[in-house]
Amino acid sequence: MRFNEKELVFLSRQPPERAAELGMRGPKKGDVVKRRLVKLIVNFLFYFRTDEDEPIGALLLEQCRVEREDDQVFSIVFLDEAERKYLFECDSQEQCVEWIDAVVKASYEFMRKNLIYYRTEIHRLTGKDPLEQYGISDETRFQVNSGLPPPPT
Amino acid sequence: MKLNERSVAHYATCNSPPDKTGFLFKKGERNTAYHRRWFILKGNMLFYFEERESREPIGVIVLEGCTVELCESESEEFAFAVKFDCAKAKVYKMAAENQAAMESWVKALSRASFDYMRLVVKELERQLEEVQEEARSSQAKSKPKKHQLQPQGAASFQPATISLQNATITGPLQEGVSSRENGVSWSKPLSVPNGVSDTQEDCSERGDGVRPPPVPPRRKTNGGSLESPVSPGTGCFSKLHD
Repeated sequence: MRFNEKELVFLSRQPPERAAELGMRGPKKGDVVKRRLVKLIVNFLFYFRTDEDEPIGALLLEQCRVEREDDQVFSIVFLDEAERKYLFECDSQEQCVEWIDAVVKASYEFMRKNLIYYRTEIHRLTGKDPLEQYGISDETRFQVNSGLPPPPT
Repeated sequence: MKLNERSVAHYATCNSPPDKTGFLFKKGERNTAYHRRWFILKGNMLFYFEERESREPIGVIVLEGCTVELCESESEEFAFAVKFDCAKAKVYKMAAENQAAMESWVKALSRASFDYMRLVVKELERQLEEVQEEARSSQAKSKPKKHQLQPQGAASFQPATISLQNATITGPLQEGVSSRENGVSWSKPLSVPNGVSDTQEDCSERGDGVRPPPVPPRRKTNGGSLESPVSPGTGCFSKLHD
């Protein structure tokens, strides 16, 4: 599948939400833990060799599950291949908790759910749709019961 | 650079709702003719397929940091381009089948970024706090309201882009499980992503109010182009809808 790699590398240079050196282990059998610079930027997790500027790789953090594996270890699993785990070893429990929280919130889908909640609550309390004045109340992604794909335009 | 391509491709076709779908003509990357492709926009990812029934996308365009512009094309009417700011960036040229479709796609793509979504969420979060605060306090505030709800196109609206300290709200979804899928557990809003965030998790009720943020610098926009901010805090919320 083609993707705009240059632009993604450019994205990896933007100010991260969170960045740290963590021990990272890939999902393949035989993968070992390696020290990586891990950066969370929008809904991507980039990982670098600690002395390099270009990322080795990126993980799109949609449709994934984050789990606490151990005191200082968390894993990311993608729902389409749940048996493959990416493991991340942190330096402390606190860091581990913070990373889990950050990764969970780093998805577009997560934000969408929050937005729908806020919109519904504001409407419930005020009787007004907060998105209407911005002309975006009809957009599919902001709909409460959005479960069906929109008709093609 | 590696990417978790299988999972990304799965995201395209899984049952999470797409934000927009439809046919567009896409200018080839090697062969410069325009090819009709089926497009699925989900979040900040624009997937394209050979056919509507295809199970796997041919490719994906990550839309973060892009600008969308109308463009003149010798061969195609209703053409627009997705451009990026980085050096030697690709320009993705697309054409819709009619004016309405073109406008609809341009609008959707220019607002597809994660950062835009984040601005909207923060804005609503701020509004909800305000509404809840007013519901709680029976006395009128002595300070004049700094955030008036303005109609579209009116005076600049200040998005909540500052770091929310001590900001804890009972989240929309709270479950006490240690494993969390995207959206299962939420307790704390994100702080502004300039540097590392070190916020603490807390599910308690909100404490004192938030100071209004400074007015962000206005973004320059050329006619027909709506910039999708790469770094938040530089976009003015109402301006994004001009």
